[in-house]
Amino acid sequence: MTRSRIDLQDLLFGLFLVAVAAATLVATRNLTVGHAADMGPGYMPRVVALALMGFGIFFTGRGLWRMRVGIAPVQWRPLLAILASVGVFALTAERLGLAIASVAAVMLASFATREGRLVETVAFALLLSGAAVLLFVKLLGLPIPIWPR
Amino acid sequence: MELFNNLLMGLSTALELNNLVFCLIGVVIGTAIGVLPGIGPIPTVALLLPFTFGLSPASAMIMLAGIFYGAQYGGSTTAILVNVPGETSSVVTCIDGHEMAKQGRAGTALAIAAIASFFAGTIATIVIAVLSVPLSVLALKFTAVEYFSLLVLGLIAAVVLAHGSVAKSLAMVLLGLLLGLVGIDVSSGVARMTFGIAALSDGLDFVPIAMGMFGLGEIIANLERPAERRVVSQSIRSLIPRRADFRAAFPAMVRGTTLGSVLGVLPGGGAALPPFSSYALEKKLARDPSRFGKGAIEGVAGPEAANNAGAQTSFIPLLTLGIPANALMALMIGALMMQGIQPGPQIMTEQPKLVWGVIASMWVGNLMLLVINLPLVGLWVSMLKIPYRLLFPAIVLFCCIGTYGIANSLFNVWLMMGCAMIGYFFIKIGVEPAPLLLGLVLGPQLEENFRRAMLLADGDFTVFVSRPISAVILGVVAVLLLAMLSPEIVRTRKEALAE
Amino acid sequence: MSLPSLARVVAAAILSVCALAPSGAGAQNFERPVRLIVPFAPGGTSDILARLISPKLSAAIGQSVVVENKPGAAGNLGADAVAKAQPDGHTLLLMDVGSLATAPSLFSDLTFDVEKDLAPISMVMFGPYVLAVHESIPAKSPKELIDYAKANPNKLSIANSGVGGATHITAVAMAKQLGIQWKNVPYKGGAAASRAVVSGESNVIINGAPATLPFVVNKQLTGLAVTGEQRIASAPDLPTFKEAGLPGGDAGTWQGILTTGGTPPAMVARLNAEIRKILELPEIQQKIAEQGGVVRAQSPEEFRNWLKDATTRWGTIIREAGIKGS
Repeated sequence: MTRSRIDLQDLLFGLFLVAVAAATLVATRNLTVGHAADMGPGYMPRVVALALMGFGIFFTGRGLWRMRVGIAPVQWRPLLAILASVGVFALTAERLGLAIASVAAVMLASFATREGRLVETVAFALLLSGAAVLLFVKLLGLPIPIWPR
Repeated sequence: MELFNNLLMGLSTALELNNLVFCLIGVVIGTAIGVLPGIGPIPTVALLLPFTFGLSPASAMIMLAGIFYGAQYGGSTTAILVNVPGETSSVVTCIDGHEMAKQGRAGTALAIAAIASFFAGTIATIVIAVLSVPLSVLALKFTAVEYFSLLVLGLIAAVVLAHGSVAKSLAMVLLGLLLGLVGIDVSSGVARMTFGIAALSDGLDFVPIAMGMFGLGEIIANLERPAERRVVSQSIRSLIPRRADFRAAFPAMVRGTTLGSVLGVLPGGGAALPPFSSYALEKKLARDPSRFGKGAIEGVAGPEAANNAGAQTSFIPLLTLGIPANALMALMIGALMMQGIQPGPQIMTEQPKLVWGVIASMWVGNLMLLVINLPLVGLWVSMLKIPYRLLFPAIVLFCCIGTYGIANSLFNVWLMMGCAMIGYFFIKIGVEPAPLLLGLVLGPQLEENFRRAMLLADGDFTVFVSRPISAVILGVVAVLLLAMLSPEIVRTRKEALAE
Repeated sequence: MSLPSLARVVAAAILSVCALAPSGAGAQNFERPVRLIVPFAPGGTSDILARLISPKLSAAIGQSVVVENKPGAAGNLGADAVAKAQPDGHTLLLMDVGSLATAPSLFSDLTFDVEKDLAPISMVMFGPYVLAVHESIPAKSPKELIDYAKANPNKLSIANSGVGGATHITAVAMAKQLGIQWKNVPYKGGAAASRAVVSGESNVIINGAPATLPFVVNKQLTGLAVTGEQRIASAPDLPTFKEAGLPGGDAGTWQGILTTGGTPPAMVARLNAEIRKILELPEIQQKIAEQGGVVRAQSPEEFRNWLKDATTRWGTIIREAGIKGS
């Protein structure tokens, strides 16, 4: 916990909201707005985005004004390992099949912590992969290839 | 007396040996798929549909209905143990249920969830038998105008879900509303915020967002903590709820059941409203609302009861009017037609044995679920003894497969990855995702119904107050808003902000 | 040994569950399981038809036929998956082909060419539409409805199952040809539209018979007419559009099976023959009739011509009415 001059929690939330609102306003710039009694498709997105913009500015301002503790430092290992695990599953599931994708996803996820032992992880990954194939493909009929096709 | 004759006739159908067997098969399958994140009852029922062609109509319906409410039981198990909500309704159970698990009270939470569900299921069965005709009239009274007002009420209630700052909750509801607007606009057919991605045209699926923000975000945050301070304390204090637990939970169950029974009847409002509004109600009524979000047992009992009651009374429009309340009911209609039975309002008089058999089987099935689930509580809880280093990769894998399974689309897996990142970000900055999820579910319906109401009323805003049901609901909204803005609340809000 | 095959051996040894990998033996023409893609969520007419036909097709070709729901973008997502599959007849598409006929006019950014990337195999069924009104509308026949609409322009609101969907386009075309005006109110699907008219939120509906006819039979809605060539058995007193002098008598649900464009004609012919055989089974005919439908087998050429014709006709209506997709 680091002491900081600004309230990072509020500031980051505020900036996040401003960014989302701005992106929405850009993405919906070509939609018809209409008016409250006869809304076009662009009406609701813009009203909500403007409200979010208001909240965003409020939190950003409050974050800058108030003295508070910052956020706990980000640890990259768990974050990247979990995201990579999901990403690898998405990349391989339909191409290499569920069996291989499952092993890859479990192995990568295990890298999130240093506690794992390689032999145990490999064995567990293979076990889970087999269980997933049996459960989801054989029993529940999920239309996903088991092997590369 | 006709009622008891009907129920007796139903029971005699439901208790036939083969129907009992199919009811059991249904609830067991339902529990299993409910426990698995992502795999919902709809694909399962679709998969089993051809198999039901060979059964009698009553057996087929009893089994399919069993899958439906069995899945509601199973879903809360995953929500409580690993904080992964597989469907809209389990999001609420995550909030306090998983918190209880962290405190070593997973067994109590699971048991109370099962008991609340059984209680609600029993009452809802009676409600269906006694009140289905008057309640179906209510369902028809709800047009776009009334839905809009009800949804506004739901969104206001959402602010109560989180236990931090009101302003942050409001911002999260709005963020959810915005996410809900992605996709093709129902009223004009125009694509919004899809960035040219075809997979976005039907909007964002709920499950990848919920699993990413709740399940995966939580896992990442957990792994940052030293091993001994992680999630669920592995010493499990008690499996069986104590008397004090029951005393706290019982009134919540009663209120949840009432709320769920009424809201469940409204087609379209769907699975989201009963548990969310029950949670909001319990928190409003509690003497010490600050306990909520930190493992309050009422926050599990009320929503679980509301959810199960709603799931059952959602059969009322189907049985009395032939109107399917949700996608699953539409699927059941398909199953009926395959049996050569024309579903519709006449079904109650033409097929009384079938209708009352299904109704009675719901009670039988709920009893089976209780008997199956209570002994299983110990087994589920012992699952938490699996070392976390093995448990979390398994959860990640099941989330991936489950998300893929909703629409057989890899896009959803990518979406879940993005939401995991955002969920982690939210945890870091101390914002809770529950209000966002409610906004996401209710937002599109809010806009759709508002625009439809305006189209039909030629842009006349007074329809919202000139129609009585809508006027009453909006009155409640006004009172709630006033209460939230009253000095006392402003003070607690300040305290919350200052903490 | 390549990596995938190595992994296959390792995993197979651990699982020791044999027959997980598909075996190569089987019918000459079909070497692996066939995917039957339904581009809608489970429970709709297309899905139920697919699950009805798949076991029969599987028995006929000696390979398993797996039904896959790929919903999204009014059916375009699933159709795209079939359009981009290997052109060998192992990936089939079963859907309301009306959506395929309207897609080119509705969506400027369609990711596939309906004519080139999809090969028609056979039509499967036609499902008639029902025209019905809420009881508050004083019309007992199509003619009375038209008179009422002419006397009260823009007072009627007609529910449809989605912007740009077949029921919407039918309603727009009818209004134009009859010289009447009504409000088109879009809903999410036929069931929601039916509910809205039963409750009186909207007051006219043209919609598929399975979702709407029960309300007519039970007198919650006043039925006026049905599309198609014959009257419907469960509501014999409703005239057909043709008998009532209404335009648009061939509007309805048209379910058909297609495969990837560029599939060898011999393969298309084999699939066509197998599916026509299945459609002749009394059991299948009866199940389709219970869905309120009529079996319509066609040759690939007939189907192709139907699709071409519908695309032009509906495209004109969509352009003239200014209906937009994305």
